[in-house]
Amino acid sequence: MQFNEVRIFFTKTGMAKYISHLDLMRCMTRALRRAQIPLWYTEGYNPHLFMTFARPLPLGVESLCESMDIRLVGEMTFREMKTRLSDALPRDITVVRVAKPVHKPTEIAFADYEMQLYTDDPAALLQAMETRFAADTLPVLKKAKQGKRRVEKETDIKPNILAFDLAQHDDGVTLTVRVTAGDQNNVSPALLLDALTENAPVAVKHTDILKRRVLLANGEAFC
Amino acid sequence: MRKEWEYLLDGVQKPARYTGGELGSVVKDKAQVKVRYAFCFPDSYEIGMSHLGMKILYGLVNERADAWCERVFAPWVDMEEKMRANGVPLYALESGDPISEFDLIGFTLQYELSYSNVLNMLDLGNVPLRSRDRTALTPLVIGGGPCACNPEPLADFFDIFLPGEGEEVTNELIDLLIAHKEKGSTKLEFLRDAAKIEGVYVPAFYDVSYHADGTLKAVTPKETAPAKVKKRVIADLDSVYFPKQFVVPFVDVVHDRAVAEVFRGCIRGCRFCQAGFIYRPIREKSSDTVNRQAKALCESTGYDEISLCSLSTSDYSEVETLLPQLLSWAPDEKINVSLPSLRVDNFSESLMEELKKVRKSGLTFAPEAGTQRLRDAINKNVTEEEVLGTAAQAFRGGWTSVKLYFMMGLPTETLEDVAGIAELAQKVVNEFYHNPDKPKGKGVTVSVSVASFVPKPFTPFQWEPQDTMEQLAEKQKHLMESVHSGKIRVSWHQPHTSFLEGVFARGDRKLCDVLEEAWKRGCKFDGWDEFFRFDDWMQAFEACGVDPAFYANRCRDFSELLPWEHLDYGIRRAFLEEENRRAHESVTSPNCRQKCSACGAARLNGGHCDAIQ
Repeated sequence: MQFNEVRIFFTKTGMAKYISHLDLMRCMTRALRRAQIPLWYTEGYNPHLFMTFARPLPLGVESLCESMDIRLVGEMTFREMKTRLSDALPRDITVVRVAKPVHKPTEIAFADYEMQLYTDDPAALLQAMETRFAADTLPVLKKAKQGKRRVEKETDIKPNILAFDLAQHDDGVTLTVRVTAGDQNNVSPALLLDALTENAPVAVKHTDILKRRVLLANGEAFC
Repeated sequence: MRKEWEYLLDGVQKPARYTGGELGSVVKDKAQVKVRYAFCFPDSYEIGMSHLGMKILYGLVNERADAWCERVFAPWVDMEEKMRANGVPLYALESGDPISEFDLIGFTLQYELSYSNVLNMLDLGNVPLRSRDRTALTPLVIGGGPCACNPEPLADFFDIFLPGEGEEVTNELIDLLIAHKEKGSTKLEFLRDAAKIEGVYVPAFYDVSYHADGTLKAVTPKETAPAKVKKRVIADLDSVYFPKQFVVPFVDVVHDRAVAEVFRGCIRGCRFCQAGFIYRPIREKSSDTVNRQAKALCESTGYDEISLCSLSTSDYSEVETLLPQLLSWAPDEKINVSLPSLRVDNFSESLMEELKKVRKSGLTFAPEAGTQRLRDAINKNVTEEEVLGTAAQAFRGGWTSVKLYFMMGLPTETLEDVAGIAELAQKVVNEFYHNPDKPKGKGVTVSVSVASFVPKPFTPFQWEPQDTMEQLAEKQKHLMESVHSGKIRVSWHQPHTSFLEGVFARGDRKLCDVLEEAWKRGCKFDGWDEFFRFDDWMQAFEACGVDPAFYANRCRDFSELLPWEHLDYGIRRAFLEEENRRAHESVTSPNCRQKCSACGAARLNGGHCDAIQ
């Protein structure tokens, strides 16, 4: 069967951050069907449509740079696909661009995040976070599996932070950060935040985490 | 601008249940509508989002420019804890506004064990529980669904019940409310007019008195209330509203698929089955309508499964026309057609052939009772030969697992009937091994699921005592001793929950206090084994001086006035009494297509019933 691979770039913001990866796959499947895009289905006893995501987005994180690949069996322009799929998607998921895939998802090396931390004492929080950044190591407890056992393993993620910026606001602190991403040394934004704030003298009331960009090893945009 | 409650979602299980924003959810400008309707399902999102009635009424109200219907579910315990800790009231999913700001708070009453959740949801929404404590015109708390056929245990909490089908009366009630809001009426003025609408039951307009022995003496109407409230019936299912769009959930819900309703009512008249009586008379949709609605829903939702919905799909008179119609487009669209509620006796060879074209799922039969005598008593007109014949046919068709549904505690049941369950299951197992073409290396699994029988209003068994928990435990033990094969797996319901269900199913207004007391003691999600607090319930009964056995385990005399008799479901009392007598003689009655038993239900539908051609 002949098919064309197509990459769909989309955002997942607002309340859509609470849609889990598994639920997102189901949501996308239905949206693609509603949009009547000529999709390629796997051949087997229970055919299902082919769909693969560059990386799963953690629950609770908003993103401007999600992508998924699908396969087409018929002709449809990228523009038409973008319009149709946008119309078929729920409120907080928006198609940004439809294009032919250039890079493999495994080539993704870095991700940029912007995080808002809300607190009653922004200055104290800022100072605590700066202190953590200044230290030689930044250990986090990563959940891992050893065989079937679930274990927690301490890892230093300091080398995984390439750049960061901290800014103080009336109601909190903004952290802009570039970290490694990918299958091998992915940095979970929630873990990073935990590590940065665990010794803070003030409570973080809540946080907004936004994934802004995914980049290749040479710093160029993944596309 | 984020609402305060949004941050509560960090760290709760399946937060997408609380966000709204699903495809198909309707958002309007609240300044542009005259009535806001919070449609509440008193159970979890996953259960509520599977319910067809809610989808119908949600779509129906939102078709109106002057009204906005939103969805509300019982938050799961982790979310409720966070909401209470942070002072966040129960909100509707579309707008995020607290339910106390709505004009109508409508609960669908699907099962008795959700009643404590009704109170919990009102409380979580800062809405006073009792009707008399809500003095303003709005919010009005209204209820419908199958349990509205005996809403007396909830009478003190609700302003209005809507027995019967909601498509027409909902709109009539909204029209009336808009008129009264514009006039600036009081709640009493509105209720007086509402009670004049057919199918509107205002419980506060009835005085209830009791005899010294606790039985009902009289239910006396006052104000504008009729002596008997007739349930509403939709005459023509081809022209009645049916949604073209469903709200498509993000999370995996229990029934996550498109649904096409094929008919209402049931021709069978199984004597234990409340649905078989309260949804009468039979009204069918034409196969063209079903096919059109099914196709439209699949297109608008993107679902890859369409399920036909009725009480007994193979009794649909156009089933053999409809299936080829559906199968002419569904497989091309990679859509699976599923047919629940098939009966054993008319599961024809040709239907089996059609079924083979769709995806193979488990096969389920419901013989309901283990012996022919008891099946005759409950009027489940299925013979052992039919069960075994269909099982053999299914095994030849490649199925290797079969599920059998039974009930325990049926009227006239003996230990012999209980052992009959195991014997029938064993015969099904044997049937598998008699099949010469059985798949090599594969065993058979016969799952036996045993529910405890609960007598319900408007059935021939409405007078019958429910088995006590001790009797049921003894029967369960006997059943286990009668099963001799590892191929048979037996599961059953907790007798405690069935007991409570039985109390509330045939309860009266004295239970309102018990319900509130139990809720205060922390009872909620009673239908969930992990949350069911039987001891707290029993303490609540004791604290209120109410004996639950009076409702569940007492045999009523035909002369007794029953708490639901001021509601008219069309069914004649004399018909139910006759069916009860026949049950005790183990005499069956023909199904409605073979011979009309003049149950009376057609009276509410201008004399029309589709079972009589």
